[in-house]
Amino acid sequence: MKKKERVLLYIMICAMCAAFWACGGQAEEIPMGRYADREVKLPPGTFEYMHPCPDGGYYLYGLDTELTYVDAQGGNRSKDRSWENNANIHAKYEVGVSDDGASVFAYTPKFWNDEELEALWIAGDISYLYYYVDEKGQIQALEPHGEGYEKGTNLNTFAFSPEGELYAASNNAVYRVNVENGEAESLFATEKQVKSIVFAGDVMLAADDGKAYFYDRAEGKLLDGNDALDAFLSSHSVGGLVMAVSDKDIHVNIMDDFAGAANDDAGEAEGASDREASQEAADANTAGGGGDAHILYMACRTGLYRYIWGGSVIEQIADGQMTALGDTQRSPRSLQVLDNGEFRVMFSGNYMVEMYYDETIPARPAKELTVYSLEENGWIRYAGQLFQKEHPDVLVRYETGMDGDNAVGKDDALKNLNTRLLAGDVPDVIVMDQMDIEQYADKGVLKELDGILQPYLDDGILYRNIVEGMRMTEKEKIYAVPMMVYLPLWLGEEMYLEGEDSLDDIVAGVELARQKHPEGPILYTLYPKDVLLQTMPVCLPAWTKEDGSLDVEKLTAYYQAVRKMWETDSAGFDDAGREAWQKNNMEWYEPEDMDMADIGFNFQYAAQQNFGETWLQLGFLMTPQVGMTGIHVNKANMAADWQEKELEDVVTYGAYTGQADNVYWARTIVGLCEQGKEPELAEAYMNLLFSDPMMRKWWLDKPRNHSGLTIRKDSLNDILDINNIEFSQTMGFKDPTGINRPNFWPTEEEKQWLYQMMEDASCCYRPGTMLEECAMEVGARVLAGELTPEEGAREVERKMAIAMEE
Amino acid sequence: MFLLPGFAGVLLFYLLPFFEVVRRSFLKSGNSAFVGMDNYRTVFENGAFSLAVRNTFLYMAVGVPLLMGISLLLSLLLRNLLLRRRLVSAMLLPMAVPAAVMVLTLQILIDRQGVINGVLTHVSEKIAAFPAFAAIDYLNTEWALVVVVCSFLWKNTGYMVILWLAGLAALPKEVEEAAQVDGANRWQSWHYIIRPGLSGSFFTIGMLSVLQIFKSYREVWMVAGSYPQEHIYFLQHLLQNWYLKLEFDRMAALTVILSLVLLVVCLLLQKRMEPER
Amino acid sequence: MGNRRKAPAWAARMRSRWRKQKMAWLAAGICAAAAVLICMPLLMIPGGSLMDGAEMNHILSPILGEGKGFAVWHLIPVYPTMAHFYGLLIESPAFYQLFWNTVGMTAAILAGQLVVGLPSAWAFAAFRFRGRDFLFGLYVVLMLLPFQVMLLPQYIVLQKLHLYNHPAAVILPAIFSTFPVFIMYRGFTQIDAEILEAARLDGAGELQIFIRIGLPLGKMGIQAAMVLSFLEYWNLVEQPMAFLEEQAAWPLSLYLPQIGIGQAGFAFALAVVVLIPALFVFALGQDALEEGIAYIGVKT
Repeated sequence: MKKKERVLLYIMICAMCAAFWACGGQAEEIPMGRYADREVKLPPGTFEYMHPCPDGGYYLYGLDTELTYVDAQGGNRSKDRSWENNANIHAKYEVGVSDDGASVFAYTPKFWNDEELEALWIAGDISYLYYYVDEKGQIQALEPHGEGYEKGTNLNTFAFSPEGELYAASNNAVYRVNVENGEAESLFATEKQVKSIVFAGDVMLAADDGKAYFYDRAEGKLLDGNDALDAFLSSHSVGGLVMAVSDKDIHVNIMDDFAGAANDDAGEAEGASDREASQEAADANTAGGGGDAHILYMACRTGLYRYIWGGSVIEQIADGQMTALGDTQRSPRSLQVLDNGEFRVMFSGNYMVEMYYDETIPARPAKELTVYSLEENGWIRYAGQLFQKEHPDVLVRYETGMDGDNAVGKDDALKNLNTRLLAGDVPDVIVMDQMDIEQYADKGVLKELDGILQPYLDDGILYRNIVEGMRMTEKEKIYAVPMMVYLPLWLGEEMYLEGEDSLDDIVAGVELARQKHPEGPILYTLYPKDVLLQTMPVCLPAWTKEDGSLDVEKLTAYYQAVRKMWETDSAGFDDAGREAWQKNNMEWYEPEDMDMADIGFNFQYAAQQNFGETWLQLGFLMTPQVGMTGIHVNKANMAADWQEKELEDVVTYGAYTGQADNVYWARTIVGLCEQGKEPELAEAYMNLLFSDPMMRKWWLDKPRNHSGLTIRKDSLNDILDINNIEFSQTMGFKDPTGINRPNFWPTEEEKQWLYQMMEDASCCYRPGTMLEECAMEVGARVLAGELTPEEGAREVERKMAIAMEE
Repeated sequence: MFLLPGFAGVLLFYLLPFFEVVRRSFLKSGNSAFVGMDNYRTVFENGAFSLAVRNTFLYMAVGVPLLMGISLLLSLLLRNLLLRRRLVSAMLLPMAVPAAVMVLTLQILIDRQGVINGVLTHVSEKIAAFPAFAAIDYLNTEWALVVVVCSFLWKNTGYMVILWLAGLAALPKEVEEAAQVDGANRWQSWHYIIRPGLSGSFFTIGMLSVLQIFKSYREVWMVAGSYPQEHIYFLQHLLQNWYLKLEFDRMAALTVILSLVLLVVCLLLQKRMEPER
Repeated sequence: MGNRRKAPAWAARMRSRWRKQKMAWLAAGICAAAAVLICMPLLMIPGGSLMDGAEMNHILSPILGEGKGFAVWHLIPVYPTMAHFYGLLIESPAFYQLFWNTVGMTAAILAGQLVVGLPSAWAFAAFRFRGRDFLFGLYVVLMLLPFQVMLLPQYIVLQKLHLYNHPAAVILPAIFSTFPVFIMYRGFTQIDAEILEAARLDGAGELQIFIRIGLPLGKMGIQAAMVLSFLEYWNLVEQPMAFLEEQAAWPLSLYLPQIGIGQAGFAFALAVVVLIPALFVFALGQDALEEGIAYIGVKT
């Protein structure tokens, strides 16, 4: 017995070791050829959807834009929209378009105003009305009725069959609707809202998020479903899934099979046999149905898929990560299959790509570059796409530690990252926002960047002062560089901040404003925490002494100052007054969600909405366009009010200083890993980040983003110099009167002022440090009156002492 | 024979990882250079370490006996009741609540302007005999440990009651009944029959209480953050913060020390408590 | 005198029964009070789950930062709404997936623990072998080690086994957890050694002894282990967070956003949904387990 046990134990240990060191499969040769994409230039307008036409052309439409037809050669013409003047439309919701340009849409009429509408939405008993516009632009009301259609049921999905019949889906059924008389016939019930309807000969395929319904239109009956397709739908519908049917098969490399919950080994074998089976099914289909082999193509975030009608396997023909499909900021809205084997995918946000098969690039990238950031960063994602275009043999894997809507917090995400780092599974590039750069540099995680930076600094391409602000005091090296910065900016009447070069001046400004405006708020601060949020960035860098210890005196002074500010601000109302003020602003302000990164945003709203109610606003300049213009737009916006108050010429803005001078807020701080697997690629990636396309095009693509002011000089100048009228149009800015509002742009003087500020910025503020979190938490108690400023500072010191000792 | 399959898994998923920890406790994190006992020295010289040890020990010294005592008392009372199962289920409920919600509930109750302070203030205002009550900031004063212990008791009492009941059920009923017939009073039957019969359970439940003490960390952390009030800064805060700072070497050393201490304690207790068979 | 000493037997019985009953009532009262006390904070949950966001904000405004005075709580909301449940059960399809993940994961772990842990526990209880005490001590220490320190080495092991980001990465280590062994062991040690001896003398095989004697007699321990394991894994947070990247494979416990008090209603609604299955398990699980064990015992 004993012996047997021991032998068994040895065997087990050996088996385990074998399993332990079992390596993955050897590298195999990668076949060539995969789908790549190119952006399609769309005609002017803001489009959301596309309806593919059989002739290779397509209709573009959005909820508020003209229906525009683009033919196969790219020429376009807009449909007349004059009919809309006869219609009583408050808002449109869903639109369906037919091959010949007729359309049907769901809307709510004008006689409901916004509040009534909201109430109805909340109560859940809003009922759409419908219009049908025929191909000539004749409008007529469509009132669905008939057996099986309960009046008031909302139809959310519309599709015209090739013959021009209208099909529509509510959240639990699919109907055929006669566009002439509105007769609606319920065809079959569904479990969820059907999101897409496509046609293949007589068969109609309607799909919701978890089930595909095949309906024979000739026989008028529901056919058998397909488990593989159902499983696919339920696992791939996140972020939108679009479908199209074609008779054309395409011979391309298959990237992957989807076979439900496949485990790797079994799945592959099964997949192969499945594929044969599906090929057989397709052949049978061809034989029986007279050349009627239908192939369903589906596009979603994970890629482009094909499913041969009647088969049981769904094949991936393009990987989302390697194409525009993987962009999490957009969702696919429509799909068109072209005769030459290319695809058009329309995305939300006025964006369309054509996907073409490129036989010159390897099917799977041979190399991988891993980029990590704690939070999703649109700019970094964009850089990944650009990098992949330049290096088709590289897959950029962008990983984020937390995505906001689950229980993974910052510490948990950092823990996971550290696990990977310690286990040797190191990413190549880390976005260091909210992370402790010194710590990671000390532990040898980060690579020093002086070498890469040298040429950029020598040639004066980047703002040297900003880059130098990142130099670590102890090691005298730079380990991470911010790609963008925010700059402190106040808005107010000129007199308040005239001598603004210390925290005391801000306090004095607040007091001055209080004298002039005895009632109501002064600062845009709803809660005590806001005072801290708005002032800490310009003070925090001054609290650490040369030797790394906390400067308690400065912190005490800071707490005294903010307390004074809060008290002065609060002196303008009683409790009820403040509560009302908070309530009025609740709409865009959720105290729980606020963090340092939102201050800028907060400022934006404040500037646009509240000036004239508040008198001194502290915030950050976040982008060259919106930040600067925000103030002007605001002026235009508020012109009537301000003229009345005679404020028009009084309001001004400028930089401000707290306890630290020339503060800039570092954003998108990028570092490279010492032990990354692809050091050369990582360096190339870094160079791409510094390049003009990255630094400039990003703003041109997304003018309203809040990522910051670029640290590349010529790009910043270019952005400010661009002819701005064009911008305001592409941005789709519209005021209630329907006229594009002119977007005001910085004057020459303002530009020079901004450049000077960029040149001076040298003191780096990085959010998310332990000191900040601690000072914030204690600060809230100081402002609430639970602690005196002195006690607060000591409390912070105590906590920091523990942290230092660790 | 019976042990082998389980032991293989333990070896793979627990022992091997543990050896890795031991190995790393002699290496410098970052460049993996061998540094001998340096990490252990750093740990012992660390001010935060002594604070954490003190607090953790205090927490255990208060929490474990209280928990064991209360739950034993309850289970003695419970064991002959018809409603037993339902009551035990009710007591177990706090364990089934997701940690996030439990933390939320706690915050609402114990905030400085929370419900408990509200009720106390209200009561002291209503009843003149009580001295005026000043709101207590539970989490930021010495009260913090009290709060932690209370929520620990709240959450784990049901858990331990289950275990005591399992232990009690195994006691032969006949002996006790016979003793009662012989006129033994409650105290005597406890002292001579129940307590000796439960000595093994004492060991089990004591160890599990310690386990639950360690497990309660996540909630403490969620309520009070990485750097809480000094009295509730426990060993796991230290471990966690080290981990966040990539100081795995120190962490490993601390773990080895901790496991040695636990092993010794465990073996000693086992010797004493385990009935010889 | 003599009469009193020889009080009728029935009177003494009555008195003692009365006393017993009184004690029983007292015990019941204390226990019920304790149960109520323990459940009291939980009473906030159903109310919170039905509470309108505005009402919640209003009554909690002191905690939210501003607002004087103290927070209060309405056990029954003034403006009840099903909005949170609606949002959870109807508007978020991910919920069901995560819910079934949790169910699947917990079931797999519990089943695995029974299969693996029971024999181990029996081995520790029924046999004496060299190094048993030390090994057992080791088991206890491994059980006590905080997960934080095992995170990294376990990650390495799982990665080597190509299990990272696979549900098995959570399930397998949990199955081999030493925790249920420890609890079930306790149940087994309470079996009289003499019984085992007698059985061995009768020529029963070890397996037979384990199944026919060990299982039925150790059932309280098994039951306790299962209930406690269930509680543990039903709300498992750290392991899946560390070992599962794929969100589709996550359990429900990770579904809760980092909740601030602002979105408390949603969290409370989720808690209700999570608690209900737990109640079922308490109610049904114990019986089922008991019967199952009895059945196995009889069958073999």
